[in-house]
Amino acid sequence: MKVNGVLIEDTFAEAFTMRVARIVITGRTAKWAREAATKLTGFATSVIGCKCEAGIERELPESDTPDGRPGVSVLFLTMDKESLPQQLIVRLGQTVLTCPTTACFDGLPDLPDRLSVGKALRVFGDGFQGSKVIGGKRYWRIPVMEGEFLVEETFGMQKGVGGGNFLILAQDADACLAAAEAAVDAMTGLPRVILPFPGGVVRSGSKVGSKRYRNMVATTNDPFDPTLRAITQSQIPEGVNSVLEIVLDGTDAPSIEAAMRVGIRAACRPGVQSISAGNFGGKLGPHHFHLRKIMNEVTG
Amino acid sequence: MRDAVTLTLVTQPAYALVADCVAPDRLASLGAAAIAALPVSHGGRPARLGDFFKVTGPPSGALWIEGDLEKVEALGTAMAGGELVIEGNVGRDLGLQMAGGRIDVHGSAADNAGGAAPGASRGMTGGEIVIRGDAGGDVGARLRRGIIVVTGDAGRGTARGAIAGTAVVFGTAGPGAGRFMKRGSIVALGPLERPATFRYACTYRPPYVPLLLRYLRVQYGLPVTDAQIGGRYERYSGDMAELGKGEILQWVAE
Repeated sequence: MKVNGVLIEDTFAEAFTMRVARIVITGRTAKWAREAATKLTGFATSVIGCKCEAGIERELPESDTPDGRPGVSVLFLTMDKESLPQQLIVRLGQTVLTCPTTACFDGLPDLPDRLSVGKALRVFGDGFQGSKVIGGKRYWRIPVMEGEFLVEETFGMQKGVGGGNFLILAQDADACLAAAEAAVDAMTGLPRVILPFPGGVVRSGSKVGSKRYRNMVATTNDPFDPTLRAITQSQIPEGVNSVLEIVLDGTDAPSIEAAMRVGIRAACRPGVQSISAGNFGGKLGPHHFHLRKIMNEVTG
Repeated sequence: MRDAVTLTLVTQPAYALVADCVAPDRLASLGAAAIAALPVSHGGRPARLGDFFKVTGPPSGALWIEGDLEKVEALGTAMAGGELVIEGNVGRDLGLQMAGGRIDVHGSAADNAGGAAPGASRGMTGGEIVIRGDAGGDVGARLRRGIIVVTGDAGRGTARGAIAGTAVVFGTAGPGAGRFMKRGSIVALGPLERPATFRYACTYRPPYVPLLLRYLRVQYGLPVTDAQIGGRYERYSGDMAELGKGEILQWVAE
């Protein structure tokens, strides 16, 4: 199967079930909402080293936020439901609470599974905090030097999907990067999906464990490293000299599939030889995204 | 015909008619005959609700009351849920010690709306009361939780002795607002005669106020302006004769 002359390999991406929350951050201006969201989602690329994965889902106009100010929607994922509130409390407390003019709201209000995040953050108020119930939701007012920080008492949590991915195999690094950028541009702002890595792109795809170092959880994906083609069991086709990976997390598998479809199509451009995906033989993750099946739905 | 129980006042009471049996959650499972048979007090003498009101509509968690209700007191007493809509002016003790649900008055309300019974330590403990007109004295007295809104003027002692909760007054709030308040908020969008025992804290944009006012605009269609939503408020802490953790937020019209 080819899209725009680029081979879509007959393989699949293997992804995991995670726990996800959606955080809506608003600010006096879009700049301050973005500042808080950028800090909140910093160092949150992979659960391997960061204990969480997070990214900006989309920017929100005034009409789409609870307090009528510009905002940013963030998806925040961890591997289990115990660590999600822990990570949120630490990170919101250090990044959003500290950021001028921001307020913080739950973006999944209809879910029965609730995380007491605002309730935990309230104690920063040292007894001077207060709460208000508006429309059946409780909000905490935490006094700060600027004025007040407002945070919703609980946040909804649901099962999500982490680790959707595809690999771009190109003739050179420039073409590979251009294709990755085009894919990210096409996927940016799609609902229910984030790209947690820098600029949405990963250059250091990993394999599970290590061939040499016992304590390493993940090490370089040597079958896809072009510099190791001659000395490892390379999976890089002839003519390919650079590989980049796009990783997608989201609230559900159909949303990730839809984003992959858009991203792969955008990545199929001159200089790209093929599109592949990372998996573990289908034994570790319950979600399998078959590239040809996904692309068949648009190419017929 | 509305898909709700409707009480229409057909016989004007000569004296105060205490109808504390009328609450939508308690009437939700009753038919028209059972509702009409509920006991009320007319001038201190026992009577039946049906002596004054015509009852129509199917059983419902929503209740409409129509007519000149200025002598009808204690409607919605201790209601814990449902919706009570009143078309017209209503007498004192509306939503007395209310615990939940919504009361929407398309008219004015007399004294002690959302207030406490004599000797009780707490008034309203939950729910929302919206009065689309003026309110008498002691509106939201000893308020413990919930929201009470007056789109017109409020009499003396708004949220007097409040323990928590929020009172919003669009018009003028009479003297003694917030007196003996422990916690809670009065959001004053009009002039307010502030007790001397409240102390100025700062002028700022309280982040929950836009949330609250937008909610009132969307949920009840109240005439909240963008200037009120995005505006600055003077914060006064009080009552310093009490705990001092209450607040009066006075909108600074710019």
